[in-house]
Amino acid sequence: MNARLNARDRLARLLSVIPWVADHPDGVAIDDVVERFAYPRNQLLDDLQDVLFFVGVYPFTPDSLIEVDVSDDRVSIRYAEWFARPLRLSSEEGARLLTAGRSVLAMTDTGDDDDAASPLLRALTKLGTALGEGAERAVDVRLGTAPADTLGVLRNALARGVQVDLEYYSYGRDELSERRVEPAKVFSDQGNWYLSGWCHRADGERVFRVDRIRAAVATDVPVERDEPSVDGSFTPSNDDPRVTLRLRPAARWVVEQYPVEAVDDDGDTITVTMAVSARAWLERLLLRLGPDATVVDADAALGDDLARSAADRILARYR
Amino acid sequence: MDKLERLLNLTAALLHAETPLTAEDLRERVGGYPDGKATFRRAFERDKDDLRSMGMPLRVEPVPGVDPPVDGYRLDRDEYAGIELAFEAEELAALHLATNLVRLDGGDAGLVKLGAAGAAAPTDSVGNVPFSDALATMIGAAADRQAVSFTYNDTERVVEPWKLSFTRGHWYLSGFDRLREGERLYRVDRIDGGVSLVGPATEPVGDVTEPIDLRGWELGDGPAVDATIVVDADQAAYARHILGEVADRPDGSVTATLEVRNVDAFRSFVLSFLEHAEILEPAELRDDFVAWLEAQR
Repeated sequence: MNARLNARDRLARLLSVIPWVADHPDGVAIDDVVERFAYPRNQLLDDLQDVLFFVGVYPFTPDSLIEVDVSDDRVSIRYAEWFARPLRLSSEEGARLLTAGRSVLAMTDTGDDDDAASPLLRALTKLGTALGEGAERAVDVRLGTAPADTLGVLRNALARGVQVDLEYYSYGRDELSERRVEPAKVFSDQGNWYLSGWCHRADGERVFRVDRIRAAVATDVPVERDEPSVDGSFTPSNDDPRVTLRLRPAARWVVEQYPVEAVDDDGDTITVTMAVSARAWLERLLLRLGPDATVVDADAALGDDLARSAADRILARYR
Repeated sequence: MDKLERLLNLTAALLHAETPLTAEDLRERVGGYPDGKATFRRAFERDKDDLRSMGMPLRVEPVPGVDPPVDGYRLDRDEYAGIELAFEAEELAALHLATNLVRLDGGDAGLVKLGAAGAAAPTDSVGNVPFSDALATMIGAAADRQAVSFTYNDTERVVEPWKLSFTRGHWYLSGFDRLREGERLYRVDRIDGGVSLVGPATEPVGDVTEPIDLRGWELGDGPAVDATIVVDADQAAYARHILGEVADRPDGSVTATLEVRNVDAFRSFVLSFLEHAEILEPAELRDDFVAWLEAQR
């Protein structure tokens, strides 16, 4: 709210502000405009008094200008007939709102039909009529494949403020573990559900993918820590070993998909350095990339023959 | 004159005009433009772009009674305002809450236009969904039954979008491909460059497969091959979760049959289990998998 808005942003707001204020013959409180239209107060006052005051149509005689009156923290607007109705939503803006709304419906889908009366559903129906006949089916959002009962247990534990016992499959480490976790947040990011919270086993804040939780049981033990600070993203730890890979162009997606620390792209090959939080993760990546990746350098902690030893373990099954 | 004042006067002039106004007319009637002909033209073009980017349906029409013909501009008030949405306060609040709960990459200018920017207390978001302008264009096109063109796999495509689906972390477009004359599916993040509207859709909307539960190995152009894999007991629950239908074996492991159209994606999927899974059949896929691993020793 503190950032100054550019001319285009201010125009977009004013085209809605003007008809809304003009619709109230007795004027409206400046604070209402500030809040409804996310319009920084000082800028709004400047724009109303120094700009809108001079807006009108040719020949700009007093009778062809908008009348703006600002006093006592209120504003009223008259004679703005060209701006009697707000500018419609663009199709892109409508698409964004529709997508956000459908995502929330996907998130809160309870399976019963009581939602038919929800304000969100009504809003989306109205929005759909403005966007076109195909709006009803234009967007479909699935926020993740987490089992509903696991999500239910986690959300319930979160609401009650109790700890949970998890049986968790750690994909990176390729191991199954039992953990006591103090849930801090359940959220969906890029199509997966996550639980963040304090993990007693790790003695630190951790993020868990909900679809890798084998079993979740709520306890009656209240949470002891209530200052979560974990966000969803993977942050490499300074202690993690590093690996440097040379990638062919076909493996460029690695740079886009994983956090990399150094990238050297000569157009032909890409050299990247990444933190390795777990060896199994690197093994999978290398095996998958095959000829598209070469290990240039790896910290001693990772050992030698990374891809080779993993390939041997798998091949043992096929002999 | 402040640029905002000029843009407001320009919008008012365009809405006020009964007949199209030429650039020269507008220069005179709006004021605030630079003097030189070339600099005026540049400023005027930028202003038009600004108005269009906000969704103003700027009409370009020949000015009547002028010879030689000259293009003029105006805004039709009904087109400008569109259908009146008449949201109730609680509906606006619900939309506002939705955009707080689910963050879409990019902005949400729509809320400002609706005057719903601050209608509810800020909330901690519980969802992030990738989003882009190209996606918004395609969703708008699907809703309004417009065709779009874009580059995909180095080929220019003209598609009538039916549905945009976000599933397993990716956006997919399904629709009618005019060049291939049939229903096709695209990964939106593999579209190269921008998406443009190319006029109204003409084909009826087909039956979009429901639900679109795509898996990489099913996305390919080749014929489908049924492949059977076994996943060990310690990863069985995970496999069941990913694959849905699996068959239990007495030792706790599970088998599953996959419809494979994309061998690379299938291999990557099986590799994700490391030594905890095995391809049972067919022999070709088993051999391909072994050859791939042998090459890395």
